[in-house]
Amino acid sequence: MDGALLTARSLGKRFGGLIAVDDLSFDLHEGEILGLIGPNGAGKSTTFNLLAGALAADGGAVELDGANLLGLKPHQIAAKGVMRTFQHNSPFSGMTLTDNLLVGAHTRFQSSWMSVLFGGSAARDRERELRDHAHELLEFVGLAEWQETEVDNLSFGQGRLLEVARALAGEPRLIMLDEPAAGLTLSEAERLSEIIRGISARGIAVLLIEHDMRFLLPLAHRVVVLNFGAKIAEGQPDQITRDPAVMQAYLGDAGMSRRAERR
Amino acid sequence: MRALSAWLGGAAILVALALTLDGYAADLFRKLLLVATLCVGFNFLFGIAGQLAISHIAFYGIGAYGVVVLAFQFGWPLPLAIIGSIMICGVIALLVAIPSTRLEGFFLALATLAFAQLFSVVILQGGDVTGGPQGLSGYAAPDYFGLPSDGGGYTLVIVAVFLMTLAILVRLDHSWFGRACRAIRDNPATAAAMGVDVFRTKVAAFTLTSTLAGVTGMAYAFTDNYLSPLVFGLEPMFMLLFMTVIGGTGRHAGAVIGAALLFLAPEVLEEWVGRHYMLGFGVLVVAAILFQPAGLMGLWDGARRRWGMR
Repeated sequence: MDGALLTARSLGKRFGGLIAVDDLSFDLHEGEILGLIGPNGAGKSTTFNLLAGALAADGGAVELDGANLLGLKPHQIAAKGVMRTFQHNSPFSGMTLTDNLLVGAHTRFQSSWMSVLFGGSAARDRERELRDHAHELLEFVGLAEWQETEVDNLSFGQGRLLEVARALAGEPRLIMLDEPAAGLTLSEAERLSEIIRGISARGIAVLLIEHDMRFLLPLAHRVVVLNFGAKIAEGQPDQITRDPAVMQAYLGDAGMSRRAERR
Repeated sequence: MRALSAWLGGAAILVALALTLDGYAADLFRKLLLVATLCVGFNFLFGIAGQLAISHIAFYGIGAYGVVVLAFQFGWPLPLAIIGSIMICGVIALLVAIPSTRLEGFFLALATLAFAQLFSVVILQGGDVTGGPQGLSGYAAPDYFGLPSDGGGYTLVIVAVFLMTLAILVRLDHSWFGRACRAIRDNPATAAAMGVDVFRTKVAAFTLTSTLAGVTGMAYAFTDNYLSPLVFGLEPMFMLLFMTVIGGTGRHAGAVIGAALLFLAPEVLEEWVGRHYMLGFGVLVVAAILFQPAGLMGLWDGARRRWGMR
């Protein structure tokens, strides 16, 4: 497929004898929501870490808009417009929500020390601009009310939304969400779905790891299924749910045979 | 506007004190300002950037010895010696920072402690250049711009160094740089994912604050016109740490208040308990860590919340 924003080709990662990611290739387009699913230990988070530069890949190629990402450090990848959230909330404590988002916007400052210390309005204008943008994003995820509150006062669910808003503050072209709905109540998860649709509507590509199929399937445009590090299926959500290889991966051989017996 | 008037008001008070105090009180005021300047820098490094660097006093010493050795042992003109000493501090700080900021917590403390000990050995074994255990004395800054290099005129130089250090660090703290430092202190991996260059930011914070400590050392060098290796040992280093923790780790005002409290307390307490005041400090630090980790600034915040002030 041409016109892909992100292309991953033959990604591989081993931990000793364990093959965590095995010859994985996929494309991701602007504004597309791609779900990455698979049983525990299938290599989803490892794939994230390879794309984000948190782990070094053993082989393969990753390009964003034709520019290589593989081998870059996490902060360089963020600067190229790939932002991520973590499986566990990791707010910068003791800071306000707005300041957390401004750390997310770190790569958007582009002012030197000297201009911070001695420069007049340019650095201060940029600061104000990005602060306003942070407030808009907090509005977008529904946390505007708490913008000057310290993050330590947020509930777990609000913390999940803050993670998303903080990643958006970096003005990414691709946002990678690692189980964003884990631990959310039903209504919180519904709100998160709306937010993710909103992100996609802004033309930002979304790569989504998720366990909860009821959350993922109505949301994703396309799904890639991993098992033991390898891609076993790829397609639209309704195709995936009928795929025998996927069922076997999720239910196991025993599950398959029990299903067969019942027939 | 409010911030600006607070700065101007504070500066006016310090200048007024510099010009009116004399004798022992003036000496105490100068030393207090020097300690407060060091503490503000150490607080940025430890409290905001999260680096427990035991080398801060050593850089204070490098600045002090650097300027005196260059100006009076090597005979450089004073302005050149000042620039030279700043550069020496900056380069050594960078060389120490590059390997040691890769370490974290306890290991960073150990590495910088080793550097501080190395500095002590160098000035003790420096022969005629550093004066060895006797230190350096018998020098004096020449008069510049018609200002006498001692008395109230010199106190103004120290006031300027204090205000400059505070202004630089407060300004940086409220910029992307300060937020990046705090983010790294909290969670380096997340900070990196947000686009923060963790290594460069850590090296920058270490080099900047260490160089500022060196500048403070230069101001100290002409306060007594006497340098002794004892002034740059480990005891003052641990006092800086205590001042930061008791004042409120990560808070600029806390650093100044902690420095003032612990610096002035011995003056008051020594009459009653002699040298045992250190014991009191130890108890105070343990109590602060156990019951009030946010230090005096934490108490202040709590009081403001309780009385509904903003």
